[in-house]
Amino acid sequence: MAEHATHDQHAEAHESHGTGFYWMVGGVLAVITAIEVAIFLVKDAIGHELFLAILFLLSIAKGVGVVMYFMHLRGDARIFQLVFIVPFTLAVTLCLGFLTIFSHHVGIAG
Amino acid sequence: MSATSHAHDEAGQAPLVGSLGVDSRKLGLWAFIGSETLFFTALITTHLIFYARTKATLAASGMLAHLDPKHYLGINLTTVLAAILLASSLTMVLALAASKSKEWAKFRFWLLATIILGSSFVLGQAYEFTHLYHEGLKLAPQYVFEGETVKSLFGVTFFVMTGFHGLHVTLGVVWLIAVYFKVRRFAASPENPMDVELVGLYWHFVDLVWVAIFTLVYLI
Repeated sequence: MAEHATHDQHAEAHESHGTGFYWMVGGVLAVITAIEVAIFLVKDAIGHELFLAILFLLSIAKGVGVVMYFMHLRGDARIFQLVFIVPFTLAVTLCLGFLTIFSHHVGIAG
Repeated sequence: MSATSHAHDEAGQAPLVGSLGVDSRKLGLWAFIGSETLFFTALITTHLIFYARTKATLAASGMLAHLDPKHYLGINLTTVLAAILLASSLTMVLALAASKSKEWAKFRFWLLATIILGSSFVLGQAYEFTHLYHEGLKLAPQYVFEGETVKSLFGVTFFVMTGFHGLHVTLGVVWLIAVYFKVRRFAASPENPMDVELVGLYWHFVDLVWVAIFTLVYLI
C-alpha cells in the first residue's frame, strides 16, 4: 500500500515539460483547428462521409492533445485517469446510444 | 504517514494528500470534471437529437436558413472564439509552468493573458447570442417569426447548451482573477502551484467542451 502510495505521489508530480513544448502543442492544436475550418469550407467537394470522418479524427486529436498535455493526464496518477476516463466513456456510449435510438433511420423517430 | 509527509516536504505542498496518495483537491476536481463531462454530453446529445428531428421540417418550410446559426452567422465568429479559447489554454499552461518554477512576473503575465482571453470569449459569445436573438432564434419552444408560428426546440437546446458553457467560462474567469490576486497577496504560500494547477484543470476542461461544441454544433 505504501509502495502504491509512493508510486502515485511520484506520478502526481507528472511529466514536466519546458515552455517550448507547450508552444509546440499549442501550435499543433491551432493547425488542427485551421484544417477543421478548411475542411468545412470544402465539405461539398469531398463528400459528407469523408468530411465527418476527417472532422471527428481531427477533433479527437485536438481533445487528446488538450487532455494529455495541457491537463497533464498523461503520466499523472492513475486514479485521475480513472475518474475522468470512466465517465467520459460512459458519456460517449450514452451519446451514441441516444443518437441511435432517436435516429430517423433505425430509431423510434424513424 | 511518513511517506506522505516526505512527499509534501519535497513538493512544498500543503498536507492534503489522502489515503490514495494523491492531493484530495485535485482528485475532487478530476471527479467534478468527470461529472461535468456527463452533464455537457447530455446537453450536446439533446441538442443534436432535436436539431436532426426539426431540421427536415424547418427546411421544408424555408425556416432553416433563419434558425440555423451557421447559415447566417457563418463560422467566422465561432472560429475566432475557438482560437481565443485555445490560445487561453496555452497561456494557462504557461502560467502553471511559471508558477512551478516560481517565476512570478511571468506567471502574472500569462495568467492576465488568460483572463483577458477568457473575458474576450465571453464578450464574443454575448455578441453572438444578441445577434442570434435579433435574427429570430429564441429561447422558447414556440414563437412567431415573420408572421409564422415556429415550433422548434432548436433554440432552447442551443441557448441552454452554449449558455451553460459560457457560464462555465465566466466562472472560470472569476476563479482565475481570484487566484491572480491570491498569489499576488501571498506570493510565498506553498499552496500557490496547486491553486494554479486546479484552476488550470478547470480552464482546460471548458476549452475541451468548446472543442466538442465547435465540431458537433457549428461545423457539422
